[in-house]
Amino acid sequence: MPDLRLLLQDTPKKRALLLGNEAIARGILEVGIGVVTTYPGTPASEIADSISEIAAEAGVYMEYSINEMVAVEIAAAAANCGVRSLSAMKHVGLNVAADALMTLAYMGVKGGCTIVTADDPECYSSQNEQDNRFYALLANLPCLEPSNAQEAKDMTVSAVEISEKLELPVLLRTTTRVSHTRGPVTYGKLAKPNLKGEFVRDIKRMNLVPANSRPMHTVLLRKVEKAKEISEASPYNTVVRESKGGKFGVISASAAFNYAMEAIDMLSLDAGVLKLGMTHPLPENLIGAFLRKHKKIVVVEELEPYLEMQVKAIAKDYAPNVKIYGKIGKLYFPRDGELSTRAVMIGLAKVTGRKLPINFEEIDEKYAEVLKDLPRRPPILCAGCPHRASFYVIRKATDGKAIYPNDIGCYALGFAPPLSIGDGFLCMGSSVSMAQGINKVTGRDTIGIIGDSTFFHAAIPGLINAVYNNHKITLAVLDNQTTAMTGHQPHPGTGVTGMGVPTEKVLIEKVAEGCGVKYVKVVDPFKVKEATAVLKEALQHPGPSVVVFRSPCALMVVRDRRRKSAKIMVCKITEECTNCMACIKLLGCPALVLVDGKASINEALCIGCGLCASVCPYQAIKCEEVS
Amino acid sequence: MAGMKEFNIVLTGVGGQGILLAAEILGTAALKEGLNVRVSEIHGMAQRGGAVVSNVRIGENVLAPTFLDGKADVLLGFEPLETLRNLNLASEKTTIIMSDERITPTELTAKMVDYPSLKKITDKIRSFTKDIIVVEAAKLATEARNILTENVVLIGALAATKKMPIKDESIIEALKELVPTKHLETNIKAFKHGYEYTQKYRPKY
Repeated sequence: MPDLRLLLQDTPKKRALLLGNEAIARGILEVGIGVVTTYPGTPASEIADSISEIAAEAGVYMEYSINEMVAVEIAAAAANCGVRSLSAMKHVGLNVAADALMTLAYMGVKGGCTIVTADDPECYSSQNEQDNRFYALLANLPCLEPSNAQEAKDMTVSAVEISEKLELPVLLRTTTRVSHTRGPVTYGKLAKPNLKGEFVRDIKRMNLVPANSRPMHTVLLRKVEKAKEISEASPYNTVVRESKGGKFGVISASAAFNYAMEAIDMLSLDAGVLKLGMTHPLPENLIGAFLRKHKKIVVVEELEPYLEMQVKAIAKDYAPNVKIYGKIGKLYFPRDGELSTRAVMIGLAKVTGRKLPINFEEIDEKYAEVLKDLPRRPPILCAGCPHRASFYVIRKATDGKAIYPNDIGCYALGFAPPLSIGDGFLCMGSSVSMAQGINKVTGRDTIGIIGDSTFFHAAIPGLINAVYNNHKITLAVLDNQTTAMTGHQPHPGTGVTGMGVPTEKVLIEKVAEGCGVKYVKVVDPFKVKEATAVLKEALQHPGPSVVVFRSPCALMVVRDRRRKSAKIMVCKITEECTNCMACIKLLGCPALVLVDGKASINEALCIGCGLCASVCPYQAIKCEEVS
Repeated sequence: MAGMKEFNIVLTGVGGQGILLAAEILGTAALKEGLNVRVSEIHGMAQRGGAVVSNVRIGENVLAPTFLDGKADVLLGFEPLETLRNLNLASEKTTIIMSDERITPTELTAKMVDYPSLKKITDKIRSFTKDIIVVEAAKLATEARNILTENVVLIGALAATKKMPIKDESIIEALKELVPTKHLETNIKAFKHGYEYTQKYRPKY
């Protein structure tokens, strides 16, 4: 949706084609949420990004918080002053916010408070595929799971109602295929957001010293009982299809429900279908009655057998003889990766003994022939990416012999040959701390690689730790002045807020100095010689050192040039070229290609960064302006 | 639409080629005709110069964002190798419209291997379907004076096949809604270029 102001149309009943995440943004506007916080992360980003574009006009306060924990704390505080709030993040972001979330469940809220967790089955853009429905179980929080864009919007509205009824935050859990699928959404009425809160001191509820926490835990458990009643009556938990014979019943939720319905049709199965949209707490009576109606139950869900284990527990009381098929015991569906109509069809066929109407093996065999010599095309650093220059410098300064713990962002792609800089990461900010552990026990030169937004998000405690415990590591901060991977959101170093308002620019070098680092320098990665000399010097420093490689993201540079209709720079290979292939072998830039066995530059991709010109041993590459 | 259960389009290419916008244009056009539709997208890490796939599914009973092997009615290939990568979705009933614009995967360059010939690629496609239209999309987009309109050239080429349950006017309406006004004229021109290309030339490979 190029023009997000369409989300602001007060045109009830209008049908729009919205991304699941845009639908959540529309829901935010329809239910009058006043405060929206986030730390960007795929597949959650477009929820808050959409709001950011229109926040001023909509009268909503929106911010890109420094990390998910801060985002949740701000939303929780606003809600405790009676203002409806929402905080959106990717699944692993909820790990960062979990400390706040677990106790927020005890404290509760006054205004509606929604925490959106966007999970990523198949790891399209993530380091793991954890199933965050377990956070609902762990924290005792209600959980809603949409299966499409319409439900994503409707449940955003319902989450606020449930949250205010129970005085509990509500988890709204999507997955990549819900967040990033467009579908028709029928608009409701817009609401006027309330931003005016009032803080009422409530020590017993909010000051959670042990004497207060214990009774609040009891209060929380009572709220869960009330939540069960809501779940039993919820329109989101419903039998969408009855079976004639009562032989098979399917229980499903979220994206898996869509595959299940299409798979049932493909197999022409007579199966009842119970669709669950409120998946914590589960509607025991509803599920129990559904179990009793069928001889065999198939639970179709993505990732962990979260529903299945609870359905099995319910069956013990309601229908001990019913047979339940899923992922516990025998695997009828994969527990890793995302599901598909095909995977669900295969699982259902196994349970029911139906013959598959499609010969998948035949297709696979034919397709394997095509794949045999098909080159892969994994994500790579863009042509002109400043990280490529940084990695080249890091490799040159260390002769490739240091250890390079890296971090989460575009620069995680630096591990790939020929740059091969990046030895492993765990989570946001792990580069700086892993560097310390590695250096301590190996004594080898260790350079942590981290981006600008990730530095602010999670590196500061690790950096202070390096100073305090005197770990002799170097931290290379690859500062491209944006949160690039997730869609170019601003961060504390960019000088602009999520509301589009200019603000104080927090400088990474000043933060590092403030943390007590004695060697801090800023370099331009495209000035290869200078940057290499600085990094070599940093490695000689007796304590921790920080080198900031500062150059804007290539995509922003191109966008900026296009907007200004400025001339475009491209590099060209001249007649001096000896075809030594140094440029190709050293840099792995997608604009450097072979044409009839000769090194050439794809001018449609090249943005004239000049890195190849600076590594060419024969000065055979020239960069020039073209109109 | 009568009797049509579902119509599946897979759009495939490389991050940065405007695939998501093309898919949104088709989805919006379908919605304008009151049809049910799902459009799947790929964002974030996977997008960075990597292989990108988007599905547009039209039909009353369509729920899932992706579809079964062999069930593509149309494969819209923005790049030849990426067209091959999604042939599992094709069958002899599939129409393949493929741009001839080649973007060399860095793996090939690193191995010092040339990009395979178009003939080799179309031969492989033919083992799945004979219905192939190769579009000189980059050239046609340049004629429309904007390299960025290549995606709309391909949509034009697809519209001219008359296979979709969407009227041409709905696509133009979707363009008006989704393309910035200052680029609208070049985009409509690109649509017509692609359209006429399929109608008049339809080169055999």
